[in-house]
Amino acid sequence: MKLDPRLIELRELLLSAPESTSTRVLFVSLSLLLAATVLLLVKRRTLREEYTPIWLAVAAAITLLSLSRPLLYFVTRSIGAWTPSSALFFFGELFLVAICLNYAVRLSRLALEVKNLAQELAVLRAELERRGAD
Amino acid sequence: MKRLVVIPAFDEAERIGAVIECVRRCLPEFEIVVVDDGSRDATAAVARAAGARVLRHPFNLGYGSALQTGYKFAHRAGAEVVVQMDADGQHDPAEARALAAPVEAGELDLVIGSRFLGVGDYQMEPLRNAGRALFRGILRGFALRVSDPTSGFQALSRRVLELYVGDAFPADYPDVDVLLIAHRHGLRIGERPVHMTASPRASLLHSGLAPVYYVYKMLLSVWAASARPRDRRSA
Repeated sequence: MKLDPRLIELRELLLSAPESTSTRVLFVSLSLLLAATVLLLVKRRTLREEYTPIWLAVAAAITLLSLSRPLLYFVTRSIGAWTPSSALFFFGELFLVAICLNYAVRLSRLALEVKNLAQELAVLRAELERRGAD
Repeated sequence: MKRLVVIPAFDEAERIGAVIECVRRCLPEFEIVVVDDGSRDATAAVARAAGARVLRHPFNLGYGSALQTGYKFAHRAGAEVVVQMDADGQHDPAEARALAAPVEAGELDLVIGSRFLGVGDYQMEPLRNAGRALFRGILRGFALRVSDPTSGFQALSRRVLELYVGDAFPADYPDVDVLLIAHRHGLRIGERPVHMTASPRASLLHSGLAPVYYVYKMLLSVWAASARPRDRRSA
């Protein structure tokens, strides 16, 4: 597909826009907040350690991308996005879909385990009653 | 030969007593096991008073899970023949013997009591009938002829129990998917005609989007059942 040269120019123009310091500060603080929340939840035993790596990795990725402009622009170009923000949104959404699917798998397994436990309980209780009656 | 009748029940205090009475009269050599699926009424107490052994779920797990609890108990108790029937009086215990006979004789592993083999005049709504035709057609594609795959009135051999106590057994509503699993494991499946009265309680499957989801779920689980390897470990 042959692109209108003006469009290519526009894209380069968008990608050369200076990054605002406030955006950078915002993103870094948000990711630090995320990491701190994760650690705090672990400390309170509300979150199990096994669920933390993925969230800490996300926090680290956001920090890295916000601090390193060339990296963010490289990623933006390589996925064919026009602006760094749409690249970030894309990865954010991808991550959310992946983690939801992961939770659905975990939930299915838990439901199976809960069902098996409840059945086991019913059978064992009947067994106990029978022994009590004998 | 140890024989068991498994009756899953949810909020059936009004009817379960009469059903158990009937089973005791018709099948005196069968032990009666009622699986109370977390009823909110006196189902368990009524069943116990009527002479049944009661297995109680701590909370409601669904029809399929209740059946499976009965299978697990029967399996552990060493049962050779299990008859399953509903607690609402839809099935006539007098006909259970005809279902159990081929299993006891070792001719079949799974005998389904069918509403659609010429006995009685069970009526189904057109939409349900269409769904039934669809799934019957699918089963025929796997060389399995069953006219009434949703029937809750069945007789099972120990070989079926061994398969059904596994995690492949559907927790919500066993249907053509589980028959397909049994068929693919080489179990011999047959049918016998039975009378059935329409269930006194409105089926939960017939409100809103539930039938659509049901057909979708069944197609998906039929596909999954046919795509899994046939070996026993998958069950």
